[in-house]
Amino acid sequence: MLHIKCPHCGMRSQNEFSYGGDATVKRPELNKEISDQDWDNFVYYRKSLRGKHKELWQHISGCRQWIKVERDTATHEIFKTVKAHEDI
Amino acid sequence: MQKYSIFNLIKNAFSGHQKWDLAWKDATPKKEYDVVIIGGGGHGLATAYYLAKEHNITNVAIIEKGWLGGGNMGRNTTIIRSNYMHDDNALFSEFGMDLWRKMSQDLNYNVMFSPRGIINLAHSDAQMNIFARRGNSMRLNGIDAVLLNREEVKEIIPMADFSDNVRFPIFGGLMQPSAGTARHDAVAWGYARQADSMGVDIIQNCEVTGFDVVGGKIQGVRTSRGDIKVKKIGLCVAGSTNILAEKLNMTIPVETHLLQACVTEPVKPVLDSVVTFGAGHFYISQSDKGEMVMGGDLDGYNSYAQRGNLPTLQHVLTEGIAMMPFLSKLKMLRTWGGIMDMSMDGSPIIDKTHIEGLYLNCGWCYGGFKATPASGWTFAHTIAQDRVHKLNEGYSLSRFNTGHLLDEKGLGTKTWIS
Amino acid sequence: MTQNYRLDKIGLINRDKKLSFKFNGKNYFGYEGDTLASALLANGVHLIGRSFKYHRPRGFFGAGVDEPYAIVQLYRNNETEPNVKTTEQELFEGLEATSVNCWPSVNFDIGAINNFLKVFLPAGFYYKTFMWPKSFWYKVYEPIIRKAAGLGVASTKHDKERYEHKYEYCDLLIAGSGPSGLASAYAAAKNGARVILAEDKPRFGGTLLTSEVNIGNQTGKEWAENIISELKEMPNVIVKNRSQVFGYYDHNMLVMSEKLSDHLPKTKKYNPKQRLWYIRAKEVLISSGSIERPLVFGNNDTPGVMLSSAAKEYLKVYGVLVGKKPLIFTNNDSGYETAIEFKKNGIEPVILDTRKEPNSEIIEEAKNLGIQIKFSYVVVAAKGYKKVNAAEIAKISDNKNDLGTLENITCDCICVSGFWTPTIHLASQSGNKTKFDKDIDAFVPGVSKQSETTLGAANGTFTLAETLKDSFNAGYELSKKITKNDNKISHPTVVEKNKTTHDKFWCVPLPKGKNYKRFLDFQNDVAVSDIEIALKEGYRSIEHVKRYTTLGMATDQGKTSNLNGLQLVSNIENKIVPEVGHTTFRPPYTPVTIGAIVGREVGKHSRPTRKSPMHSWHEKNNAVFVDAGVWLRPRYYKIGEETLFEGSKREAKNVRANVGVCDVTTLGKIDIKGPDAAELLNRVYTNAWLKLPVGKARYGVMLREDGIVMDDGTTTRISENHYHMTTTTAQAANVLSHLEYYLQLVWPELNVNVVSTTEQWAGAAIAGPKSRNLLQKLFPNIDASTEGLPFMGYIEADLFGVHARIFRISFSGELAYEVNVESDNGNFMWEKIMEVGQEFKIQPYGTEALSTLRIEMGHIAGSELDGRTIPYDNSLEGLVSKKKDFIGKRSLDREAFIADDRQKVVGVVPIDKKTSIPEGSHLVKDAMAPIPNPKLGYISASCWSVEYDNPFSLAILKDGKNMIGQKLFAMSPLKNKTIPVEIVSSHYVDPKGERVRS
Repeated sequence: MLHIKCPHCGMRSQNEFSYGGDATVKRPELNKEISDQDWDNFVYYRKSLRGKHKELWQHISGCRQWIKVERDTATHEIFKTVKAHEDI
Repeated sequence: MQKYSIFNLIKNAFSGHQKWDLAWKDATPKKEYDVVIIGGGGHGLATAYYLAKEHNITNVAIIEKGWLGGGNMGRNTTIIRSNYMHDDNALFSEFGMDLWRKMSQDLNYNVMFSPRGIINLAHSDAQMNIFARRGNSMRLNGIDAVLLNREEVKEIIPMADFSDNVRFPIFGGLMQPSAGTARHDAVAWGYARQADSMGVDIIQNCEVTGFDVVGGKIQGVRTSRGDIKVKKIGLCVAGSTNILAEKLNMTIPVETHLLQACVTEPVKPVLDSVVTFGAGHFYISQSDKGEMVMGGDLDGYNSYAQRGNLPTLQHVLTEGIAMMPFLSKLKMLRTWGGIMDMSMDGSPIIDKTHIEGLYLNCGWCYGGFKATPASGWTFAHTIAQDRVHKLNEGYSLSRFNTGHLLDEKGLGTKTWIS
Repeated sequence: MTQNYRLDKIGLINRDKKLSFKFNGKNYFGYEGDTLASALLANGVHLIGRSFKYHRPRGFFGAGVDEPYAIVQLYRNNETEPNVKTTEQELFEGLEATSVNCWPSVNFDIGAINNFLKVFLPAGFYYKTFMWPKSFWYKVYEPIIRKAAGLGVASTKHDKERYEHKYEYCDLLIAGSGPSGLASAYAAAKNGARVILAEDKPRFGGTLLTSEVNIGNQTGKEWAENIISELKEMPNVIVKNRSQVFGYYDHNMLVMSEKLSDHLPKTKKYNPKQRLWYIRAKEVLISSGSIERPLVFGNNDTPGVMLSSAAKEYLKVYGVLVGKKPLIFTNNDSGYETAIEFKKNGIEPVILDTRKEPNSEIIEEAKNLGIQIKFSYVVVAAKGYKKVNAAEIAKISDNKNDLGTLENITCDCICVSGFWTPTIHLASQSGNKTKFDKDIDAFVPGVSKQSETTLGAANGTFTLAETLKDSFNAGYELSKKITKNDNKISHPTVVEKNKTTHDKFWCVPLPKGKNYKRFLDFQNDVAVSDIEIALKEGYRSIEHVKRYTTLGMATDQGKTSNLNGLQLVSNIENKIVPEVGHTTFRPPYTPVTIGAIVGREVGKHSRPTRKSPMHSWHEKNNAVFVDAGVWLRPRYYKIGEETLFEGSKREAKNVRANVGVCDVTTLGKIDIKGPDAAELLNRVYTNAWLKLPVGKARYGVMLREDGIVMDDGTTTRISENHYHMTTTTAQAANVLSHLEYYLQLVWPELNVNVVSTTEQWAGAAIAGPKSRNLLQKLFPNIDASTEGLPFMGYIEADLFGVHARIFRISFSGELAYEVNVESDNGNFMWEKIMEVGQEFKIQPYGTEALSTLRIEMGHIAGSELDGRTIPYDNSLEGLVSKKKDFIGKRSLDREAFIADDRQKVVGVVPIDKKTSIPEGSHLVKDAMAPIPNPKLGYISASCWSVEYDNPFSLAILKDGKNMIGQKLFAMSPLKNKTIPVEIVSSHYVDPKGERVRS
């Protein structure tokens, strides 16, 4: 079971969190022209690589904050966690 | 090639089994091939076999990073079924069922295909209706399906929880009697043996390091055992698709996730059918060896580690006991993990790509094993003819642009919760 | 009664407490402190079961977790448990056990015919045959194979036992209480660390219980006992026996199963049978010891052949002789320790040592004791069928290739020692890449991956002095790192006999003309010849070898066989062992009861049950409940013998005619506050929200980014910056997360807060033409007229002293209101509504009537919002704003979504106006068309229209908008039904929506 440091609450076990996928995906701005391909890339296309992966988790059974986590997808080692508005 | 039969088995017994041929040869890569299949799993091996058998293309190499059949082919829970709602999935899978039924004879290798039936349990009238929709769709597509009521389910699996102390009572279930299981390793070995006998080179311990693409066309593949010139490459590497796609500067609508499975200690036959739980995600069958083979949810975060964590298994087994309380007393013997290509609509991709000569077979989620023959057959056709077959038309890459999605579960792009 | 093989004085059993037990129907006795294995051996019983494939007789091989074949069916407290290791099962009064995998009995087993057919059953034989005729595999061959396989019998009764979970944090978790475990635990505990020390056996001390050593002027056993009692007294230490740390997971999470009751005749009341510990440790010390390796020779599976360390353990711990004429066959000094113990207890052993002329203190001691030792000698084959009665032995050449003349020697057991294999499972599970240690011919842990350290024999350190030194140091250093304390205790002095190097030789060649089976995996019957065949046929990767031969896949998971298998492959393939590599070590280390993994979440508690505050009222009023996610909702309120159909029809009719009340507490509720709340709603919903006035509600649909409808519901503007959102019951949690996602990550500039209030409000929908009259009576101080409270209006009022929110919204399509009060007042509200409603003929209605009402009105619900439909499909395109952007909008112009013949919700009526259309039926043009028959759409929901008194259904139909008036067939092959139908508008009742506005 992963041990994730919630930047708001501290170290917590994984079962307090829910996963939210790739944190590098940027939602296109509202009301802005965007090509079909760019939109589809946002909705469907993920790199999902082996190694360091920036991802989202929500501390759903805790402070309910979304956080950003940098984790190795091969070893599950966690390098860094930051608050939602911070860059990772 | 030596034929496998009871007579040959007896004959060989008298020479102390010293005269059996190699099931397949460990080939070393040649400089050039007509087709290179990347990935020596079930799909890659089947593709090579059907390229040789159906299209007479035998100057083919399968290159495998590790050992043949060592990825999901050797890690799945061996369930074979075609109980799909969407036509594209249903017709493709049912075509595969026909290949399964003939496979042992076709390959002259006993893959132990065992049509013991699969039952999806329903725990509410609403779920019975959802299953009816799928079952009726199957029937209209020519696939066997039976809607069972509670009593009928009880007759087949009396050890399921029909007591009052149950959170989600069993209302009934959808059964596909012709579904079943097979011996997964044997399928890989059987395809390998036949492909090898028709001239396909099976190259293990050979890792792809890069591709030669010139002017949008495939010219070759670079490997840890040398460069190979080739005009057509079939990518069959579920679990590593994203890694190879990166080497091709491609992004694919697939995420890589971890699925665990486990078995109990072997016990005498107690469960004949494959059964799935309807109020969660749990499936079970009993192997010929007597082990209860079980699985359920993904670990829930992107992963390439073939090792999972216990809470997911705990969750899966909780559902197992909710469905069949007697499992509580059995002992979990072995757990393992496999790396899944989770596509964004839960259905696979078998298609050409924007690179000429590069063909893509991926996104099998956790349904890859049953698709082995149909996937190999259609992929071989796609590669040989340079066009998709009607059976894999629905499995196009472009569906993520056009909206012709094949979302059996209606869960959308959150690949980790499906 | 006497026990012929029990010694009088030696052993740690309690001779004052006799325990009687039954094996295969026969009565025996043993003592408290025995295992079933030791008790049987004390009684001279060696034949325990039959092997998996050839049904060869099987006895005892080990004395603990490594046991490959002494497995029984256990009977305890009216239950039965398959595949119990006799070497782990502690004896209790009244224990009963039987052999597994034999018929009719272990003595006479029909399956043993396989032993004579074994030449026809080499590795993988089943892949080569059983293929003709085609249908025979499933119908004939497979059932026979299935029946033959499987060891014990599973009881299909529900489990009466309870299992618990415990979560624990510690500084150091120490797995194994042998010398290294005790020393490191002691050093760390003395330095203030919070320590958990786990031992899988009932007794602490590991090898100290059986070895002749001195630590600080005490025997090893005394030292262990003293350390343990001291540790047990320390407040910062948890000491657990019968506790197996079986899994090493990510981020130093380890899992341990503690057996609390398996050693008792029955579990004490209110006690768990087992407890599962999730332990998050800052540091892990793995002191799991090592397992003795078998030597491989002909018929080495005969009962009476066993590990020399096991023989010693039976002797020293249980006072049991495994034989009275033992032959010790060894390639290292360990065998001598066993021989010396036999000798000291008056038994004359013979030692066969594969080595030429080894020299060490212990060999000297054996010589001095007058033990007969034959150097450069091997056992070629064991003799005897159900029990060893002799051994065929021979001298072996220096190069170990050639055997001398075969000799026979009588013996009643053969104790083998092929040196030691470190137990590296936990280290390997942690991600540690193991390395091969040539000196000990085994793998040891490499560089630590997590915070783990392996010590002692598990790390390949086989001298006690070194082990203790390392372990005291490790315990001290690691605890210092964590506690910052610096209290170092001194190492005790150690006296032990030195040992010399072992012989790498382990597999005895076959003599000319003999075809003995030499077994590697005893439970799965994998012999040397099987590995040879696998390699010959090209199954050369160690994984292929394992899978083709099933080596190491039995219930012992190859604890005694894997390394020998590897060595064999490396010999044949001319590779060094590390090149062959080992198969992956995976949890669990030993099999774990599934009940323990699951814990208390069983039966009705397998998932939480959520109930509304009015639940008990519903119960008292004969509600029949239905699961809605984890909620329980009344489906209908049964009167007399009413069926669901009759009851729900009555309830729905009453809503259309008078007034009904429905518990809608389960709907998700989200409180939204902040100056940008309207802007958030405007982005989340497909329709416009910026101009919703205070005191008004609006229906909205929200999409996922891929354009698929995610949820629908109403949101009400309570005050300037305060909104109340409702969601469907099913999507409540997802919608909240969805909003939080956008607020926290995508649009952090929006000043909005969201919080779930589902539990805070109890909700009652009152619906029907008389609902206004009822509302007015409930709230005499409000103006309930349509002017005072118009459709989609909202007011707050006082319900007999209780604050209430009133929403004029309708799902039933009737004039309707939804009243919310704080949950505590829910029941009060409900009772008041029922009481006041009497005069308007109020009846409660359940989800079934609710369905009927919404279906005939053409209101969509979960069966239409199935995660695959877009707003258009649900006739919600009118709610999709063209002017503003919102979540998922950009996806809506995809080719498939804007196709001319896109599916759309329609109404379906059977032509005969009588036949109900089963939900899940498909609509086709031609019922007689050949298969596959093209499907045009499906029936998503069906009801009996109470308005028109005929069946009515909703369907999602291809090109739905152009299909109104068409005649199709609804087909349900599952129910053998083909029903001619007409397609009508989905708004079957009150298409203009006049009632809700009335």
